[in-house]
Amino acid sequence: MAVSAVHLESDAFLVCMNHALSTEKEEVMGLCIGEVDTNRIVHIHSVIILRRSDKRKDRVEISPEQLSAASTEAEISFNFTHRLAEMTGRPVRVVGWYHSHPHITVWPSHVDVRTQAMYQMMDQGFVGLIFSCFIEDKNTKTGRVLYTCFQSVQAQKGSEYERIEIPIHVVPHEAIGKVCLESAVELPRILCQEEQDTYRRIHSLTHLDPITKIHNGSVFTKNLCSQMSAVSGPLLQWLEDRLEQNKQSIVELQKEKERLIQELASL
Amino acid sequence: MAASISGYTFSSVCYHSANSNSDHEGFLLGEVRQEETLSISDSQISSSEFLHIVEVHNHEPCAQLFSFYDYAGKVNEENLNRILKDRRKNVIGWYRFRRNTQQQMSFREQVIHKQLTNILGIPDLVFLLFSFISTANSSTHALEYVLFRPNRSRYNQRISLSIPNLGNTSQQEYKVSSVPNTSKNYASVIKEHGAEFFDKDGVIKDIRAIFQVYSALQDKVQAVCAEVDQSERVKEKIQEEVKKLKEEISLRKRITAAEERRHQESLNTENHSLQDDSALSDSSSPPSLTRVLLQSPPLEVSLDWPPNSTALPLYPAAPAPPPAPPSAILLPRPQAVGSPGHPSPGLGLGNGDGSSSDSLNRQAIGQEDQLEEEEEEEDEDEDSSEYENLVSERLQSPSLTDTAVSLGRPAALWPDGDTHSSGGSS
Repeated sequence: MAVSAVHLESDAFLVCMNHALSTEKEEVMGLCIGEVDTNRIVHIHSVIILRRSDKRKDRVEISPEQLSAASTEAEISFNFTHRLAEMTGRPVRVVGWYHSHPHITVWPSHVDVRTQAMYQMMDQGFVGLIFSCFIEDKNTKTGRVLYTCFQSVQAQKGSEYERIEIPIHVVPHEAIGKVCLESAVELPRILCQEEQDTYRRIHSLTHLDPITKIHNGSVFTKNLCSQMSAVSGPLLQWLEDRLEQNKQSIVELQKEKERLIQELASL
Repeated sequence: MAASISGYTFSSVCYHSANSNSDHEGFLLGEVRQEETLSISDSQISSSEFLHIVEVHNHEPCAQLFSFYDYAGKVNEENLNRILKDRRKNVIGWYRFRRNTQQQMSFREQVIHKQLTNILGIPDLVFLLFSFISTANSSTHALEYVLFRPNRSRYNQRISLSIPNLGNTSQQEYKVSSVPNTSKNYASVIKEHGAEFFDKDGVIKDIRAIFQVYSALQDKVQAVCAEVDQSERVKEKIQEEVKKLKEEISLRKRITAAEERRHQESLNTENHSLQDDSALSDSSSPPSLTRVLLQSPPLEVSLDWPPNSTALPLYPAAPAPPPAPPSAILLPRPQAVGSPGHPSPGLGLGNGDGSSSDSLNRQAIGQEDQLEEEEEEEDEDEDSSEYENLVSERLQSPSLTDTAVSLGRPAALWPDGDTHSSGGSS
């Protein structure tokens, strides 16, 4: 087996959750960045949110070529921006992908399993993560968020692919890494870009009458407003709250540090 | 009654919980408001209903358990105020995260809830319970959450918690064609008056305006993000310094204790040899060991100590080299949750021993001492902790160690031990 387990750092987990909970009407997807160690454990340090070229509700996938291109681009810009290669002496790379299943079971669909199999052809250690959210049991009013990790395997030659389960553990990481923070704030930018691209395509249609153009302009305005109130706003609020929490923690930690210095001096 | 929590706050609670190897709790801040909904039915002209809406804006995590209550469940108002400070007026509830436990309030939680209701003066205080379960092979994990209203009657206690989100970003609302219309009047009127909406480039003015708003907002998000990043680095650095100081103090205390023990032993030995009336032996008796001890630099003591020394340093020597990564990874106790083939909607507890949050609290505390012992051991040990630390894969690769450390990341896979120090310190 190519992969024995996946260790997902908790700040990367945070970004995945943010992304998965950003919309209940579509599946979202992204890439996992990290490395594989000599024990075949995949360490995921952060994630990259991907733009979706095909926004169908029930599936999310990009072709292996697209994935390869996206991965290369991601790795280059990632390493360049964060100079991780310098810091670690090793480049970190794309080690897997994640996507969300809003209102759906966490298990990968046949399409997901096939997609994963394709990715594995390029990289045996590639793993897939799925986050299932917006699930509620109406009777017990219990909400649920699930996550799973899988790879694909061909049971017999020529037969359909099936999934194999890979143990995944969220590993504590007390501070949120810079890379994760930057990934998190990419989401509003990506949403806006998608909207702009769609609008531009529509806007280039010349046979529309003024009323229709005004209508389309309003749709753009409405969608951007939705994004700001549902994503940018709460994101900004969370950042401010986190900043406040950190400031307080720092004050308390400073006090503790001084206390400890004194204690050490007295020994 | 309806309740909502933002996806970012929810994820943040999950994040804090994931970082905690014990239960995790905190307070929910927000507001409760009433919405009036008017409806018209056949029997009445208009009937209005009042809907209570609980909005969770933010959460205030507690750094450790038992921070505002004791083992008997008695809430300490002073500690409560210290934790909440001026946010006390925004409290609308509290939350608890536990692993492998039932979706019910525990007795202690109920007791605490009643007191909080009275102390904070919030008649409808809510309680959000998160419980975490996993499949036996740890490939799939579920986080279940229920919002309780314990102060209401027994039959009306659970509220649906919704997470507002982007919903439908469907771009199908754009019209790609106009409704066909040959009326010349129509065309001329809409062209003349519709011109208001367009600027000289033929672009809808609103588009530019709203884009400006978005742009300004995104700039602000980036700016605050940079500040948060800086504060995270500062926090990390001080946490690391605090950790090193604690290790140093601990080491010094152990050295001192060991010295005293040796001193005692040497005194006893001298007494015995005096009684024996034989010549004082000058074999490698403890006094010379003590001398060896005092000469070697304190932080490398661990390497020089003779094999039969009684006290082993529990933290690796670490001036320049980083602390060794732990040899074990703590996992939540695995539960046989349904079968891998299909998800069972009610992911029940395979464990059935009715483990409650209380026992987990005790286990978390007992765990610490055992954690320290584990660091030096090379074998996967069958430890006696009730928490059943599962030693799965170990980080053996030294290059990975270097990697983890040079990234400036705390190499430990669990939070600083003292964050969850025993409940005695409050």
